Amino acid sequence: MTDILTILRDFGPLLLVGQYPNGPLGGLAITFVLSVLGIALAFPLGVGLALARISPFKWLYWPATALIYLMRGVPLIMLIFWVYFFLPVLLGRPVSGFSTMLVTVAIYQASYVAEIVRAGIESLPRGQMEAARAVGLSYMQAMRKVILPQALYNMVPSMLSQFVSTIKETSLGYVISVNELTFAANQINSSLMTKPFQVFAILAGIYFVLCFSLTQCARHLEKRVARRRAGETARTAAPVAPAALPVTAE
Amino acid sequence: MTAASMIRFEAVNKWYGDYHALNAIDAEIGKGEVVVVCGPSGSGKSTLIRTVNRLEEIQQGRIFFEGQDIHAPSLNLNKFRSHVGFVFQSFNLFPHLSVAENIMLAPTTVLKRGKAEGRERAAQLLARVGLSSKVDAYPGQLSGGQQQRVAIARALAMDPPAMLFDEPTSALDPEMVGEVLQVMKALARDGMTMMCVTHEMNFAREVADRVWFMDQGRIVETGSPEGFFSNPQSDRARKFLSDLRSH
Amino acid sequence: MNRVDFSVLLQGDYPAMIAGGLVRMLELTLLAWVLAMVLGTLLALARMTTSRLLRALVAAWVEYHQNVPMLVQIFLWYFGIATLLPADMQFWINRHSGEFILATIAIALAMSAYVSEDLRGGIRSIPASQLEAARALGMGYLQTFRLVVLPQAFRIALPTLVNHTVLLFKGTALAMTIGVAELTYATREIESRSFQTVEIYLFTTIVYMALSLLIMAGGSMLGRRLALPGR
Repeated sequence: MTDILTILRDFGPLLLVGQYPNGPLGGLAITFVLSVLGIALAFPLGVGLALARISPFKWLYWPATALIYLMRGVPLIMLIFWVYFFLPVLLGRPVSGFSTMLVTVAIYQASYVAEIVRAGIESLPRGQMEAARAVGLSYMQAMRKVILPQALYNMVPSMLSQFVSTIKETSLGYVISVNELTFAANQINSSLMTKPFQVFAILAGIYFVLCFSLTQCARHLEKRVARRRAGETARTAAPVAPAALPVTAE
Repeated sequence: MTAASMIRFEAVNKWYGDYHALNAIDAEIGKGEVVVVCGPSGSGKSTLIRTVNRLEEIQQGRIFFEGQDIHAPSLNLNKFRSHVGFVFQSFNLFPHLSVAENIMLAPTTVLKRGKAEGRERAAQLLARVGLSSKVDAYPGQLSGGQQQRVAIARALAMDPPAMLFDEPTSALDPEMVGEVLQVMKALARDGMTMMCVTHEMNFAREVADRVWFMDQGRIVETGSPEGFFSNPQSDRARKFLSDLRSH
Repeated sequence: MNRVDFSVLLQGDYPAMIAGGLVRMLELTLLAWVLAMVLGTLLALARMTTSRLLRALVAAWVEYHQNVPMLVQIFLWYFGIATLLPADMQFWINRHSGEFILATIAIALAMSAYVSEDLRGGIRSIPASQLEAARALGMGYLQTFRLVVLPQAFRIALPTLVNHTVLLFKGTALAMTIGVAELTYATREIESRSFQTVEIYLFTTIVYMALSLLIMAGGSMLGRRLALPGR
């Protein structure tokens, strides 16, 4: 136990912020930045994919569906290698590990977000879209002003869950030497050598505290959303499908 | 205690928190007797019948089944329950098992009977309740009335000395009530000891030996069916019967 | 960009490496899956007992494994817990593909948490009246669980169990980080030796896709076979 405290004292800053301010940002800070940016990018992508999935246009539907199945069927680590290799080729210039991870995580999460958004949209009573079109709104206007705002409220707990998944996924940045939390912990272990259990226990502990608190928030929000939805259902008397809980990725 | 007592309640009291659900119940059902328990909703009749196989527990008093105190520490609860037939209001058939498997399940796993013997008995019982053709059907394929008849067969498969019915027809569409009552009447005529919580007054008139009228946790009135229905003694019984008839 | 030429994969010992990687991947998946299912079922059962301590322990187990990244769990087992074991055990493990054993354990334990949650959800959705009916017939606790609850709970939990099986399968790729020579490891080896990235990446991607789809299709088929006939 004292070992753990010593390690925290000596290497705490490295774990939390990397070598900042004497060097680049790293550790938990990078994990956090990567996760927030990742989910932020995944969100509009996911909405786009969801709309493509429910659209009647085959040229939108099939590519979107193919992408989603690809993300679901291939391990994230393999996808990271793909992007690591492919992105510099595509852009014609070298790409940092951070950017690689960001792009990979954004696309990967987008496919899960797409399913959440789709479930959120489909759980709304049909009458909503019908009423919006009846007053003369176009499909896209109805989506933007009526459907999505409501669906998004229902989706907040699921999105929070996906954020937790994103945080866990950033740990894979380690394999391409992105200086996030897991990488930092490995560095510490390499320099200490004699206390691997303590180092990795601390690593697991940090992730646990972070992810568990966010998961609890998500559960709390889920209850609030469910209560509100129950009220709406009672009034509109339309069957409401529960928003699909996301399959938490690695 | 009468020599041929099947079920006996002695100073039975039950509370749900502060609510006095069963109040000083003293009553007896003899072997071969058919007793109908009726009363307004909330009167405790379902609670009472569920104390007999200890699906509900009591705080005071004693209950005897075939002369045995059912709360004795030496009693094996599972063994005891396998000895008491219980039919639920919502049938509670096991949806993942066929009709025959539903009936055979307890005899093979609890009484350790052989599978072939179990199947044969299941076929016999299904014939008795008029459902021979449904032996391999699944509960999801049956109507409510058919499911309840299978539930009765399932309870009978354990060869219990007494059968408890907790509002067996209340969850059925009206046109299916008759087929279930028919089975119950046949059972009664065959000499089965029965305790039935039910609103079906014609059933009571035809086969019940006695009627217990319950209200607010007490057995307010008991009597023969003809006596109770034509000339109820208590005001509450009178009100109950007139409410029932006004349907 | 040069033309894609899959024949490069047939050169030298690449086929052997790929085959070895495939076998390792399948071994890892199967072993971890069986372990996860058995453990997950026991955990679900433990969560149903009256012991508050047991229930709390299972809850803690589930929360830990669902909130810590699988990669970190693998590291903790391989670099951390392994070093805490008695010396002769460590010696034995090292002689017998230690990284494979520890990766299997880490992945299995991680997924056992998801399996137990899936089953718990299935069990909770079974109405109490089913339990009452079984108890009224005199069936004991374990008999009721085995013959009435579990068959129904499993049917309900099947779709999520299939999803998590795919997750487990994908998770085996992480074992490469500790040196398990499964498919992704072999892929990187071949890439670094042959410089033919696209071919080997495509091959591996197709393999993962195909097997994932196979698992999902298998799950659907199982679901259809187990579906109870309705009216």
